[in-house]
Amino acid sequence: MSEFHDDYPHYETMYNHDEAYGKKARRTLWNVFWIMLAITIFELIIGSMAPGHGWTGTLWLKVLFIGLTVVKAAAIVLWFMHLGHEVKFFKYIILLPYITFILYAVFIILVEGVYSGYPRNVTRVDQIFIDQQKELKSHSGHSGGDAHATEAAHGEEHH
Amino acid sequence: MAHVAEFDAKAAWDGGQSPFRVSYGKMMMWFFLVSDALTFGGLLVSYGFIRHKYAEVWPKAENVFTHFPFIEQHLPLAYVGLMTFILIMSSVTMVLAVEAGHRMDRRGVTVWMFWTIVGGAMFVGSQAWEWYHFIVGTHVGGPEGHGGALRNVWDPATSSYVKQVYHGATMAVNEYGVPQFANYFFFITGFHGFHVFSGVIINLVIFLNVLKGTYEKRGHYEMIEKVGLYWHFVDLVWVFVFTFFYLL
Repeated sequence: MSEFHDDYPHYETMYNHDEAYGKKARRTLWNVFWIMLAITIFELIIGSMAPGHGWTGTLWLKVLFIGLTVVKAAAIVLWFMHLGHEVKFFKYIILLPYITFILYAVFIILVEGVYSGYPRNVTRVDQIFIDQQKELKSHSGHSGGDAHATEAAHGEEHH
Repeated sequence: MAHVAEFDAKAAWDGGQSPFRVSYGKMMMWFFLVSDALTFGGLLVSYGFIRHKYAEVWPKAENVFTHFPFIEQHLPLAYVGLMTFILIMSSVTMVLAVEAGHRMDRRGVTVWMFWTIVGGAMFVGSQAWEWYHFIVGTHVGGPEGHGGALRNVWDPATSSYVKQVYHGATMAVNEYGVPQFANYFFFITGFHGFHVFSGVIINLVIFLNVLKGTYEKRGHYEMIEKVGLYWHFVDLVWVFVFTFFYLL
């Protein structure tokens, strides 16, 4: 078929299939899509009503969000990108290096990241940012929260 | 095909065939995507670090991204939700194009590739819209709306610096919070948006080839699979950007 590697198996056509198999494959793909859509809508509803304090600011909710994201990512990689259909060794050669490095990056940022929190390691510029933001928050009387409702009132005062 | 049934993982290492059972092009696309994913992983990890460092003054995405086209209402995260839906949808049409390619169904590939390109273009446009509103900011601006930055401006009348309300966002200052918030927003969504943009261009080139019948002549639609991998990767990155930037 190809003039470049005549003796090799034809990997390009290896995953070709007939209509009967295609029908089954399409049903799986649409199911994956509906699951991903449901997860996204759930995340959006929780995310848009989360002001960041009370039950919405808790660690378990953040862990839940990250967990759902990993589920979605796995669905994309395994079904949409067909990595689930590849041979075992190819799966490992793609996934293991990546997972290793990312887990290492997360680990090192969690462990060594505390260094920046020590008072003597806060730069002068950092302190300016933080002081400025704190001053502005106390100055404006409300910190984020339901910003839009009060926005209009403040706007009238100023213009 | 016969060699599929005969595949022996151990014997494959003796040569003459790929032990991974994929073509060279597809394997290299995967390797490229792993390296690209590491870049995005690095960006998101550093974003998490900076965000944690300024946790007490970091703005909340629900208070920043509240706009929706044609609707004058406070709709937190609604538009980014729509963008996410468009991108997931275009990922589905892409995988359906790949499936049609496996059946050598030229018409199916054409139709699904077309909708993938439409979805990708809509996403890029949405991102431009979102950037526009982020840069221009609210009519109130400054600290009143979001607890953002005040600029020191010299006032000749009183011979002193007065603090002035700031509207919108630049790399140096923004009305929403610390400068790093805008920096990371521009860099991460910009880097991802550029990936989407190049994905749309690549999809367009492949789409024209499908119309020309290049892959029909070649005897297989593997090229659809390769660009499909790239396109799904773009969707995959967005899933993480969406979570870390907008949800958490």
